[in-house]
Amino acid sequence: MKKEEFLVELEDVLQREEPCNETDILEEYDEWDSLSKMAIMAFYSKNFGINVTLNDLKELKTVEDLIKLAGDKIDA
Amino acid sequence: MSLNKFNKVKISGISVVVPENEINIYDEAEYYDNSIKKIDRMRKMVGFWKRRVANKEQTALDFAYNAAINLIEEMKIDVNTIDALLYVVQKPDWLGPVNSYFLHHKLGLSKECIATDIVQGCAGWVFGLYIASQMIESGAHKKILLLNGDTPSIGIDPSDRNQAPIFGDAGSATLLEYTDQTQPSHFNIDTIGEGYDAIISPFSANRFGLNFLKDEDFEKLSILRKEKATLPTGNTQPLLGSYIDGLKVFDFTIKQVPKTIKTLLEYANTSQSDINLLALHQANKQIVQGVGTEAGFDLAKVPYEAFEMYGNNTMCSIPTVLSMLDKDIKKENVCCCGFGNGLISAAAILNLSDTYLGEIKTFKKPEYVWANTDEYIDYWRKKMQGQV
Repeated sequence: MKKEEFLVELEDVLQREEPCNETDILEEYDEWDSLSKMAIMAFYSKNFGINVTLNDLKELKTVEDLIKLAGDKIDA
Repeated sequence: MSLNKFNKVKISGISVVVPENEINIYDEAEYYDNSIKKIDRMRKMVGFWKRRVANKEQTALDFAYNAAINLIEEMKIDVNTIDALLYVVQKPDWLGPVNSYFLHHKLGLSKECIATDIVQGCAGWVFGLYIASQMIESGAHKKILLLNGDTPSIGIDPSDRNQAPIFGDAGSATLLEYTDQTQPSHFNIDTIGEGYDAIISPFSANRFGLNFLKDEDFEKLSILRKEKATLPTGNTQPLLGSYIDGLKVFDFTIKQVPKTIKTLLEYANTSQSDINLLALHQANKQIVQGVGTEAGFDLAKVPYEAFEMYGNNTMCSIPTVLSMLDKDIKKENVCCCGFGNGLISAAAILNLSDTYLGEIKTFKKPEYVWANTDEYIDYWRKKMQGQV
Protein backbone atom coordinates (compact mmCIF):
# COMPACT_ATOMS: atom_id res chain seq x y z
CA MET A 1 0.00 0.00 0.00
CA LYS A 2 1.23 3.48 -0.85
CA LYS A 3 1.66 5.96 1.97
CA GLU A 4 -0.87 8.37 0.43
CA GLU A 5 -3.44 5.58 0.17
CA PHE A 6 -2.82 4.65 3.78
CA LEU A 7 -3.44 8.21 4.96
CA VAL A 8 -6.81 8.22 3.20
CA GLU A 9 -7.66 4.79 4.67
CA LEU A 10 -6.64 6.00 8.11
CA GLU A 11 -9.09 8.87 7.89
CA ASP A 12 -11.82 6.29 7.27
CA VAL A 13 -10.63 3.83 9.93
CA LEU A 14 -10.69 6.57 12.57
CA GLN A 15 -13.93 8.00 11.14
CA ARG A 16 -12.25 11.38 11.05
CA GLU A 17 -13.47 14.26 8.97
CA GLU A 18 -10.11 16.01 8.66
CA PRO A 19 -7.28 14.63 6.50
CA CYS A 20 -4.45 12.80 8.27
CA ASN A 21 -0.82 13.91 7.90
CA GLU A 22 2.38 12.08 8.76
CA THR A 23 3.45 14.64 11.33
CA ASP A 24 0.11 14.69 13.20
CA ILE A 25 0.31 13.80 16.90
CA LEU A 26 -2.08 10.91 17.55
CA GLU A 27 -2.94 12.02 21.11
CA GLU A 28 -4.15 15.32 19.67
CA TYR A 29 -6.83 13.59 17.61
CA ASP A 30 -10.26 13.62 19.29
CA GLU A 31 -10.83 10.28 17.55
CA TRP A 32 -7.75 8.55 19.04
CA ASP A 33 -9.87 6.51 21.47
CA SER A 34 -10.11 2.82 22.33
CA LEU A 35 -12.56 2.28 19.45
CA SER A 36 -10.06 3.66 16.97
CA LYS A 37 -7.28 1.59 18.47
CA MET A 38 -9.37 -1.54 18.01
CA ALA A 39 -10.19 -0.48 14.46
CA ILE A 40 -6.45 -0.04 13.78
CA MET A 41 -5.72 -3.50 15.19
CA ALA A 42 -8.36 -5.02 12.89
CA PHE A 43 -7.14 -2.98 9.90
CA TYR A 44 -3.50 -4.05 10.32
CA SER A 45 -4.48 -7.66 10.74
CA LYS A 46 -6.75 -7.66 7.69
CA ASN A 47 -4.58 -5.61 5.31
CA PHE A 48 -1.03 -6.36 6.41
CA GLY A 49 -1.33 -9.63 8.34
CA ILE A 50 0.26 -7.88 11.32
CA ASN A 51 -1.01 -8.43 14.87
CA VAL A 52 -0.73 -5.09 16.62
CA THR A 53 -1.17 -4.98 20.40
CA LEU A 54 -2.47 -2.18 22.58
CA ASN A 55 1.05 -1.78 23.99
CA ASP A 56 2.42 -1.26 20.48
CA LEU A 57 -0.12 1.53 19.98
CA LYS A 58 0.63 3.14 23.35
CA GLU A 59 4.26 3.67 22.27
CA LEU A 60 3.30 5.66 19.18
CA LYS A 61 3.46 9.43 19.02
CA THR A 62 2.76 10.40 15.43
CA VAL A 63 1.00 9.10 12.33
CA GLU A 64 4.49 8.46 10.94
CA ASP A 65 5.12 6.01 13.82
CA LEU A 66 1.91 4.26 12.86
CA ILE A 67 3.18 3.92 9.29
CA LYS A 68 6.51 2.52 10.55
CA LEU A 69 4.60 -0.12 12.49
CA ALA A 70 3.50 -1.62 9.16
CA GLY A 71 7.16 -2.07 8.12
CA ASP A 72 7.54 -2.64 4.38
CA LYS A 73 3.78 -3.12 3.93
CA ILE A 74 3.45 0.64 3.40
CA ASP A 75 5.67 2.12 0.68
CA ALA A 76 7.46 5.29 1.61
CA MET B 1 -10.81 -27.63 20.34
CA SER B 2 -13.65 -30.07 20.81
CA LEU B 3 -14.96 -31.30 17.48
CA ASN B 4 -18.18 -33.29 17.22
CA LYS B 5 -20.73 -34.38 14.65
CA PHE B 6 -24.37 -35.35 15.20
CA ASN B 7 -26.63 -37.02 12.64
CA LYS B 8 -30.07 -37.41 14.17
CA VAL B 9 -30.89 -33.93 15.44
CA LYS B 10 -33.27 -31.48 13.83
CA ILE B 11 -33.74 -27.89 14.99
CA SER B 12 -37.49 -27.54 14.51
CA GLY B 13 -38.19 -24.00 15.63
CA ILE B 14 -36.91 -20.81 17.21
CA SER B 15 -38.77 -17.94 18.84
CA VAL B 16 -37.39 -14.71 20.36
CA VAL B 17 -38.86 -12.23 22.83
CA VAL B 18 -37.53 -8.74 23.61
CA PRO B 19 -38.77 -6.17 26.16
CA GLU B 20 -40.92 -3.30 24.95
CA ASN B 21 -38.68 -0.54 26.28
CA GLU B 22 -36.46 0.68 23.42
CA ILE B 23 -33.57 3.07 23.93
CA ASN B 24 -32.21 4.99 20.96
CA ILE B 25 -28.65 6.32 21.19
CA TYR B 26 -29.76 9.54 19.48
CA ASP B 27 -31.89 10.24 22.57
CA GLU B 28 -28.76 10.01 24.72
CA ALA B 29 -26.85 12.92 23.14
CA GLU B 30 -26.12 14.33 26.61
CA TYR B 31 -23.45 11.65 26.98
CA TYR B 32 -21.83 12.63 23.68
CA ASP B 33 -21.42 16.39 24.26
CA ASN B 34 -24.78 16.81 22.48
CA SER B 35 -22.96 16.08 19.24
CA ILE B 36 -24.89 14.16 16.60
CA LYS B 37 -21.63 13.81 14.67
CA LYS B 38 -20.09 11.91 17.58
CA ILE B 39 -23.09 9.61 17.74
CA ASP B 40 -22.97 9.09 13.96
CA ARG B 41 -19.33 8.05 14.34
CA MET B 42 -20.23 5.55 17.09
CA ARG B 43 -23.04 4.16 14.99
CA LYS B 44 -20.82 3.75 11.95
CA MET B 45 -17.89 2.23 13.82
CA VAL B 46 -19.58 -0.04 16.37
CA GLY B 47 -23.23 -0.06 15.35
CA PHE B 48 -24.66 1.70 18.43
CA TRP B 49 -28.26 2.59 17.62
CA LYS B 50 -31.23 0.96 19.29
CA ARG B 51 -31.48 -1.54 22.12
CA ARG B 52 -34.25 -3.19 24.16
CA VAL B 53 -33.88 -3.13 27.90
CA ALA B 54 -35.80 -4.75 30.72
CA ASN B 55 -37.35 -2.74 33.51
CA LYS B 56 -36.29 -3.75 37.00
CA GLU B 57 -39.30 -6.03 37.53
CA GLN B 58 -38.45 -8.16 34.46
CA THR B 59 -36.00 -11.05 34.60
CA ALA B 60 -34.27 -13.52 32.29
CA LEU B 61 -36.76 -16.13 33.50
CA ASP B 62 -39.71 -14.01 32.35
CA PHE B 63 -38.28 -13.57 28.86
CA ALA B 64 -37.39 -17.27 28.52
CA TYR B 65 -40.87 -18.26 29.72
CA ASN B 66 -42.56 -15.88 27.32
CA ALA B 67 -40.48 -17.15 24.38
CA ALA B 68 -41.39 -20.73 25.35
CA ILE B 69 -45.12 -19.94 25.48
CA ASN B 70 -44.94 -18.29 22.06
CA LEU B 71 -43.06 -21.18 20.45
CA ILE B 72 -45.44 -23.77 21.96
CA GLU B 73 -48.43 -21.81 20.64
CA GLU B 74 -47.00 -20.99 17.21
CA MET B 75 -45.78 -24.52 16.53
CA LYS B 76 -48.73 -26.17 18.30
CA ILE B 77 -46.36 -28.29 20.39
CA ASP B 78 -47.98 -30.90 22.64
CA VAL B 79 -46.18 -30.13 25.91
CA ASN B 80 -46.61 -33.75 27.04
CA THR B 81 -44.20 -34.85 24.30
CA ILE B 82 -41.32 -32.65 25.52
CA ASP B 83 -38.91 -34.94 27.37
CA ALA B 84 -36.21 -32.48 28.42
CA LEU B 85 -36.10 -28.81 29.34
CA LEU B 86 -32.79 -26.99 29.31
CA TYR B 87 -32.67 -23.40 30.53
CA VAL B 88 -29.46 -21.50 29.86
CA VAL B 89 -29.07 -18.58 32.25
CA GLN B 90 -26.43 -16.56 34.07
CA LYS B 91 -28.67 -14.21 36.01
CA PRO B 92 -31.14 -16.54 37.73
CA ASP B 93 -34.16 -15.32 39.73
CA TRP B 94 -32.88 -17.29 42.74
CA LEU B 95 -29.85 -19.51 43.30
CA GLY B 96 -31.76 -22.63 44.35
CA PRO B 97 -33.43 -24.63 43.05
CA VAL B 98 -32.36 -24.32 39.44
CA ASN B 99 -34.93 -22.08 37.78
CA SER B 100 -35.89 -24.66 35.16
CA TYR B 101 -38.08 -26.41 37.77
CA PHE B 102 -40.20 -23.29 38.01
CA LEU B 103 -40.41 -23.19 34.18
CA HIS B 104 -41.21 -26.91 34.11
CA HIS B 105 -44.16 -26.22 36.43
CA LYS B 106 -45.44 -23.07 34.70
CA LEU B 107 -45.19 -24.63 31.23
CA GLY B 108 -47.13 -27.69 32.42
CA LEU B 109 -44.42 -30.20 31.47
CA SER B 110 -44.72 -33.84 32.48
CA LYS B 111 -42.99 -35.81 35.23
CA GLU B 112 -41.15 -37.74 32.52
CA CYS B 113 -39.56 -34.50 31.26
CA ILE B 114 -36.23 -33.83 32.93
CA ALA B 115 -35.18 -30.24 33.62
CA THR B 116 -31.98 -28.43 34.44
CA ASP B 117 -30.25 -25.08 34.14
CA ILE B 118 -27.04 -24.60 32.23
CA VAL B 119 -24.88 -21.66 33.27
CA GLN B 120 -23.35 -19.98 30.24
CA GLY B 121 -23.08 -16.48 28.81
CA CYS B 122 -22.77 -15.20 25.25
CA ALA B 123 -22.07 -18.67 23.83
CA GLY B 124 -25.11 -20.06 25.66
CA TRP B 125 -27.26 -20.79 22.63
CA VAL B 126 -24.65 -22.82 20.74
CA PHE B 127 -23.59 -24.47 24.00
CA GLY B 128 -27.21 -25.40 24.75
CA LEU B 129 -27.60 -26.87 21.25
CA TYR B 130 -24.45 -28.89 21.82
CA ILE B 131 -25.74 -30.43 25.07
CA ALA B 132 -29.23 -31.03 23.66
CA SER B 133 -27.81 -32.62 20.49
CA GLN B 134 -25.87 -35.18 22.52
CA MET B 135 -28.96 -36.04 24.56
CA ILE B 136 -30.90 -36.70 21.34
CA GLU B 137 -28.08 -38.44 19.46
CA SER B 138 -27.61 -40.88 22.37
CA GLY B 139 -31.25 -41.93 22.03
CA ALA B 140 -32.11 -40.83 25.58
CA HIS B 141 -34.40 -37.97 24.48
CA LYS B 142 -36.62 -37.23 21.51
CA LYS B 143 -37.84 -33.67 21.96
CA ILE B 144 -35.98 -30.98 23.87
CA LEU B 145 -37.04 -27.45 24.68
CA LEU B 146 -33.97 -25.23 24.96
CA LEU B 147 -34.61 -21.88 26.61
CA ASN B 148 -32.26 -18.95 26.87
CA GLY B 149 -32.75 -15.77 28.85
CA ASP B 150 -30.52 -12.91 29.86
CA THR B 151 -30.72 -9.38 31.22
CA PRO B 152 -27.22 -7.98 30.77
CA SER B 153 -28.51 -4.38 30.95
CA ILE B 154 -29.71 -4.72 34.54
CA GLY B 155 -27.43 -2.98 37.00
CA ILE B 156 -25.55 -0.92 34.42
CA ASP B 157 -25.74 2.82 35.04
CA PRO B 158 -26.90 4.71 31.91
CA SER B 159 -23.91 7.05 32.27
CA ASP B 160 -21.54 4.06 31.92
CA ARG B 161 -20.74 4.57 28.25
CA ASN B 162 -18.44 1.51 28.12
CA GLN B 163 -21.29 -0.89 28.73
CA ALA B 164 -24.70 0.80 28.71
CA PRO B 165 -24.96 1.37 24.92
CA ILE B 166 -23.95 -2.22 24.14
CA PHE B 167 -26.40 -4.47 25.92
CA GLY B 168 -29.98 -5.46 25.27
CA ASP B 169 -32.15 -8.02 27.06
CA ALA B 170 -34.05 -10.97 25.55
CA GLY B 171 -35.29 -14.52 25.79
CA SER B 172 -35.42 -17.30 23.22
CA ALA B 173 -36.92 -20.75 22.84
CA THR B 174 -35.60 -23.46 20.53
CA LEU B 175 -37.13 -26.87 19.85
CA LEU B 176 -34.82 -29.76 18.99
CA GLU B 177 -36.16 -33.13 17.84
CA TYR B 178 -34.93 -36.58 16.90
CA THR B 179 -35.12 -37.24 13.17
CA ASP B 180 -34.98 -40.55 11.28
CA GLN B 181 -33.41 -38.80 8.32
CA THR B 182 -29.68 -38.23 8.48
CA GLN B 183 -29.17 -34.56 9.18
CA PRO B 184 -25.58 -33.76 10.04
CA SER B 185 -24.62 -30.93 12.36
CA HIS B 186 -21.02 -30.13 13.29
CA PHE B 187 -19.71 -28.40 16.40
CA ASN B 188 -16.40 -26.95 17.53
CA ILE B 189 -15.95 -25.54 21.02
CA ASP B 190 -12.78 -23.84 22.22
CA THR B 191 -12.51 -23.22 25.96
CA ILE B 192 -10.02 -20.66 27.26
CA GLY B 193 -10.37 -20.89 31.03
CA GLU B 194 -7.35 -18.66 31.44
CA GLY B 195 -9.52 -15.77 30.27
CA TYR B 196 -12.10 -16.24 33.06
CA ASP B 197 -11.39 -12.73 34.33
CA ALA B 198 -11.71 -10.94 30.98
CA ILE B 199 -15.49 -10.63 31.40
CA ILE B 200 -16.61 -11.22 34.97
CA SER B 201 -19.08 -10.09 37.64
CA PRO B 202 -16.79 -10.64 40.64
CA PHE B 203 -19.23 -9.32 43.23
CA SER B 204 -22.36 -11.07 42.01
CA ALA B 205 -22.62 -14.05 44.36
CA ASN B 206 -21.20 -15.93 47.31
CA ARG B 207 -17.51 -15.02 47.01
CA PHE B 208 -18.68 -11.55 47.94
CA GLY B 209 -20.90 -12.94 50.68
CA LEU B 210 -24.10 -11.85 48.99
CA ASN B 211 -26.14 -14.35 51.02
CA PHE B 212 -24.69 -13.59 54.43
CA LEU B 213 -24.14 -9.85 54.68
CA LYS B 214 -24.65 -8.72 58.27
CA ASP B 215 -26.30 -5.45 59.26
CA GLU B 216 -22.94 -3.79 59.87
CA ASP B 217 -21.79 -4.82 56.38
CA PHE B 218 -24.41 -2.67 54.73
CA GLU B 219 -22.60 0.54 55.60
CA LYS B 220 -19.45 -0.79 53.94
CA LEU B 221 -21.57 -1.92 51.00
CA SER B 222 -23.12 1.52 50.55
CA ILE B 223 -19.60 3.01 50.34
CA LEU B 224 -18.32 0.31 47.98
CA ARG B 225 -21.32 0.82 45.73
CA LYS B 226 -20.14 4.36 45.02
CA GLU B 227 -16.52 3.42 44.35
CA LYS B 228 -15.34 3.67 40.76
CA ALA B 229 -12.28 2.13 39.19
CA THR B 230 -10.40 4.00 36.46
CA LEU B 231 -9.66 1.71 33.53
CA PRO B 232 -6.43 1.91 31.49
CA THR B 233 -8.50 3.51 28.72
CA GLY B 234 -9.29 6.42 31.04
CA ASN B 235 -12.95 5.46 31.40
CA THR B 236 -14.35 4.64 34.80
CA GLN B 237 -16.57 1.82 35.97
CA PRO B 238 -18.26 0.87 39.25
CA LEU B 239 -16.08 -1.43 41.36
CA LEU B 240 -19.03 -3.70 42.15
CA GLY B 241 -20.27 -3.81 38.56
CA SER B 242 -19.53 -6.33 35.86
CA TYR B 243 -16.04 -5.93 34.44
CA ILE B 244 -14.98 -6.20 30.82
CA ASP B 245 -11.35 -6.03 29.76
CA GLY B 246 -12.37 -4.62 26.38
CA LEU B 247 -9.05 -4.88 24.59
CA LYS B 248 -8.31 -8.38 25.86
CA VAL B 249 -11.75 -9.48 24.71
CA PHE B 250 -11.26 -7.79 21.35
CA ASP B 251 -7.93 -9.55 20.95
CA PHE B 252 -9.55 -12.91 21.81
CA THR B 253 -12.42 -12.41 19.38
CA ILE B 254 -10.26 -11.33 16.47
CA LYS B 255 -7.67 -14.10 16.95
CA GLN B 256 -9.44 -17.10 18.54
CA VAL B 257 -12.98 -16.93 17.14
CA PRO B 258 -11.97 -17.02 13.43
CA LYS B 259 -9.73 -20.02 14.23
CA THR B 260 -12.64 -21.86 15.83
CA ILE B 261 -14.74 -21.24 12.73
CA LYS B 262 -12.02 -22.19 10.23
CA THR B 263 -11.21 -25.42 12.10
CA LEU B 264 -14.90 -26.30 12.07
CA LEU B 265 -15.20 -25.66 8.30
CA GLU B 266 -12.27 -28.01 7.71
CA TYR B 267 -13.74 -30.67 10.03
CA ALA B 268 -17.12 -30.46 8.26
CA ASN B 269 -15.32 -30.64 4.92
CA THR B 270 -16.89 -27.41 3.70
CA SER B 271 -15.72 -23.91 2.86
CA GLN B 272 -16.68 -20.26 3.29
CA SER B 273 -18.28 -20.22 -0.16
CA ASP B 274 -20.52 -23.20 0.67
CA ILE B 275 -21.79 -21.59 3.86
CA ASN B 276 -25.00 -19.62 3.19
CA LEU B 277 -24.75 -17.47 6.26
CA LEU B 278 -22.37 -16.74 9.13
CA ALA B 279 -24.59 -15.90 12.11
CA LEU B 280 -22.23 -14.50 14.71
CA HIS B 281 -22.86 -13.48 18.28
CA GLN B 282 -23.75 -9.79 18.05
CA ALA B 283 -21.01 -8.43 20.31
CA ASN B 284 -21.00 -5.21 18.27
CA LYS B 285 -20.70 -4.31 14.59
CA GLN B 286 -16.93 -3.81 14.71
CA ILE B 287 -16.36 -7.24 16.25
CA VAL B 288 -18.87 -9.02 13.97
CA GLN B 289 -17.22 -7.59 10.86
CA GLY B 290 -13.71 -8.17 12.21
CA VAL B 291 -14.43 -11.83 12.95
CA GLY B 292 -16.23 -12.30 9.61
CA THR B 293 -13.28 -10.86 7.69
CA GLU B 294 -10.64 -12.82 9.62
CA ALA B 295 -12.62 -16.02 9.12
CA GLY B 296 -12.48 -15.39 5.37
CA PHE B 297 -16.15 -14.58 4.71
CA ASP B 298 -17.74 -12.17 2.29
CA LEU B 299 -19.31 -9.65 4.70
CA ALA B 300 -22.61 -9.82 2.79
CA LYS B 301 -23.08 -13.20 4.52
CA VAL B 302 -22.34 -11.81 7.99
CA PRO B 303 -25.28 -9.81 9.35
CA TYR B 304 -24.86 -7.25 12.15
CA GLU B 305 -28.29 -5.54 11.94
CA ALA B 306 -29.54 -7.43 14.99
CA PHE B 307 -27.00 -5.53 17.07
CA GLU B 308 -28.20 -2.18 15.68
CA MET B 309 -31.85 -2.99 16.38
CA TYR B 310 -31.73 -4.90 19.68
CA GLY B 311 -28.21 -4.47 21.11
CA ASN B 312 -25.97 -7.30 22.23
CA ASN B 313 -28.49 -9.58 23.91
CA THR B 314 -25.76 -12.13 24.77
CA MET B 315 -26.92 -15.76 24.39
CA CYS B 316 -30.07 -14.73 22.47
CA SER B 317 -28.17 -12.84 19.77
CA ILE B 318 -27.87 -15.70 17.26
CA PRO B 319 -31.59 -16.60 17.53
CA THR B 320 -32.24 -12.85 17.04
CA VAL B 321 -30.11 -12.80 13.87
CA LEU B 322 -31.90 -15.88 12.53
CA SER B 323 -35.34 -14.44 13.30
CA MET B 324 -34.52 -11.29 11.32
CA LEU B 325 -33.49 -13.11 8.11
CA ASP B 326 -35.37 -12.63 4.87
CA LYS B 327 -37.48 -15.69 4.08
CA ASP B 328 -35.64 -16.25 0.78
CA ILE B 329 -32.16 -16.61 2.29
CA LYS B 330 -30.92 -20.20 1.94
CA LYS B 331 -30.49 -21.87 5.31
CA GLU B 332 -29.08 -25.34 4.47
CA ASN B 333 -25.60 -24.48 5.60
CA VAL B 334 -25.62 -21.95 8.39
CA CYS B 335 -22.53 -21.43 10.47
CA CYS B 336 -23.30 -19.98 13.91
CA CYS B 337 -20.69 -18.86 16.38
CA GLY B 338 -21.23 -17.72 19.94
CA PHE B 339 -18.30 -16.36 21.94
CA GLY B 340 -17.69 -14.42 25.09
CA ASN B 341 -17.44 -14.78 28.84
CA GLY B 342 -15.64 -17.94 29.81
CA LEU B 343 -13.77 -17.31 27.62
CA ILE B 344 -15.42 -19.57 25.09
CA SER B 345 -15.74 -19.69 21.34
CA ALA B 346 -18.42 -22.16 20.21
CA ALA B 347 -19.30 -22.70 16.56
CA ALA B 348 -21.77 -24.97 14.80
CA ILE B 349 -22.74 -25.70 11.21
CA LEU B 350 -26.46 -26.35 11.09
CA ASN B 351 -29.15 -27.11 8.56
CA LEU B 352 -31.98 -24.68 9.29
CA SER B 353 -33.84 -25.07 6.00
CA ASP B 354 -36.89 -26.65 7.72
CA THR B 355 -36.67 -24.63 10.91
CA TYR B 356 -39.67 -22.56 11.93
CA LEU B 357 -38.49 -18.99 12.56
CA GLY B 358 -41.12 -16.76 14.15
CA GLU B 359 -41.02 -12.98 14.12
CA ILE B 360 -39.37 -11.32 17.09
CA LYS B 361 -42.12 -10.71 19.64
CA THR B 362 -42.53 -8.01 22.24
CA PHE B 363 -42.58 -9.28 25.82
CA LYS B 364 -45.98 -9.88 27.40
CA LYS B 365 -46.09 -10.05 31.16
CA PRO B 366 -46.83 -13.62 32.27
CA GLU B 367 -49.60 -14.20 34.80
CA TYR B 368 -47.22 -15.44 37.46
CA VAL B 369 -45.18 -12.26 37.61
CA TRP B 370 -45.34 -10.31 40.84
CA ALA B 371 -46.20 -6.65 40.20
CA ASN B 372 -43.14 -5.36 42.03
CA THR B 373 -40.53 -6.30 44.61
CA ASP B 374 -42.82 -5.41 47.53
CA GLU B 375 -45.46 -7.79 46.24
CA TYR B 376 -42.80 -10.49 45.87
CA ILE B 377 -41.65 -9.99 49.47
CA ASP B 378 -45.23 -10.05 50.67
CA TYR B 379 -45.91 -13.26 48.72
CA TRP B 380 -43.06 -15.07 50.46
CA ARG B 381 -43.95 -13.63 53.86
CA LYS B 382 -47.45 -15.07 53.48
CA LYS B 383 -46.18 -18.32 51.97
CA MET B 384 -43.85 -18.95 54.90
CA GLN B 385 -46.69 -18.24 57.30
CA GLY B 386 -48.84 -20.76 55.50
CA GLN B 387 -51.27 -18.13 54.19
CA VAL B 388 -50.84 -18.78 50.44
